[in-house]
Amino acid sequence: MQLALLAVMVSVLDARGAERSSRGHGDVQAKLAYCEDCHGPSGQGFHGYFPIPRLAGQQTEYLKNQLEAFVEHRRTNNVMFNVAHSLSPTMISALAADFRTLNPPPLGGDAKHLGSTGEKIFQNGVPEANVAACAACHGPQAQGSGEIPRLAGQLSDYVFNKLINWSKERGQIPSKPDISAVMSPVAHSLTKPQVEAVAAYLSHLK
Amino acid sequence: MERLESHRYCSKLGGLRPVLQLAIVAMLGASAHAETVAKSTVPKGELQAKIAYCENCHGVSAQGFHGYYPIPRLAGQQPDYVKNQLEAFIEHRRTNNIMFNVSHVLSPAMVEALTESFQQLNPKPLTTPAPEDLIASGRKIYEEGLPKSDVPPCAGCHGPEAKGDGQFPRLAGQLSDYVVNKLANWTKERGQNPEKPDTSAIMQPIAHSLNSQQIKAVAAYLNQLQ
Repeated sequence: MQLALLAVMVSVLDARGAERSSRGHGDVQAKLAYCEDCHGPSGQGFHGYFPIPRLAGQQTEYLKNQLEAFVEHRRTNNVMFNVAHSLSPTMISALAADFRTLNPPPLGGDAKHLGSTGEKIFQNGVPEANVAACAACHGPQAQGSGEIPRLAGQLSDYVFNKLINWSKERGQIPSKPDISAVMSPVAHSLTKPQVEAVAAYLSHLK
Repeated sequence: MERLESHRYCSKLGGLRPVLQLAIVAMLGASAHAETVAKSTVPKGELQAKIAYCENCHGVSAQGFHGYYPIPRLAGQQPDYVKNQLEAFIEHRRTNNIMFNVSHVLSPAMVEALTESFQQLNPKPLTTPAPEDLIASGRKIYEEGLPKSDVPPCAGCHGPEAKGDGQFPRLAGQLSDYVVNKLANWTKERGQNPEKPDTSAIMQPIAHSLNSQQIKAVAAYLNQLQ
């Protein structure tokens, strides 16, 4: 009986390994499984104690920048600091390249705040309140570009948390300013209902 | 009419219908010097907030920014040109949804204050590396034009240092991919209301006659100009 159980376990692990063999070798596979443990199957995101963000389809340059920011404590997150500082540059490149190719459907979920307001704000900004149009930098489909992140399909509560807490978490070393400064005025000027609306809109985008 | 004489090359509007040429010449000659409304009529805090908002997309000191689209440098830009473009966005003569939304909430006093402020900014160009020979061939086109293709020298209207003049925009330090996009898509974006022709018509035959390699070269040259 135990032998049969063991055989089943081995074959399941084998299958997982086989699924991943096209996505990098040995240690990269293991590292990917480790990331997905928190970030969800295919990096779709996961509602842990905290909302853990979608990494699937993310811009490689953005991912690398964030990992560097965690390592240098420019971006505050203890869990991610521990994750990031043990990664070699080659591993980071391999992981980022792999996440870029993943394309699971959005985890979705926030229907309560879904309406046209979020889409309007995303595409047009709020000119009267000096809030720039998200689409100008993040693209009309929120795909991002280079160091500007993809937002499409991101968990709405993650987006909400990040925007509300922007200056508490990012750009934490004044003597080493980084591109996160671009978002400060936007995060500051959006009202909570506006943030909820945009976050809901983004969470459903493919 | 001083302006017209100094822009001899610009009056070579050969490819356009006579009535259109007349309209453009009239517009150039009658360029209204809007009363300079003092910046102080717009509350300082409001102006600063609006400038910060523009710079969110247009970059630190309005040097330009590579967003999803290349977002152009506004620093050092000719106030008349900026005003004209904002009007064109509002009237949908120039197609850009984001800029339409930005522009139509601006009061005339705010527009005046903004354009004056942008003209004062002078950050270094936001350069994209380009091969030396590309820049050199771009310089040649900029200064000499392409007589065989009926392309006048850009310098004739935009100035020897590409600083622009009045309604003619500064090009010095402009993002190269922005210049490429605009020239390649000129007729798709500008002069979109045939019943209300505007000065963008001047560039139409030029944009049409330049091939993509020539556009790349000129763009590379302009991008590194201080």
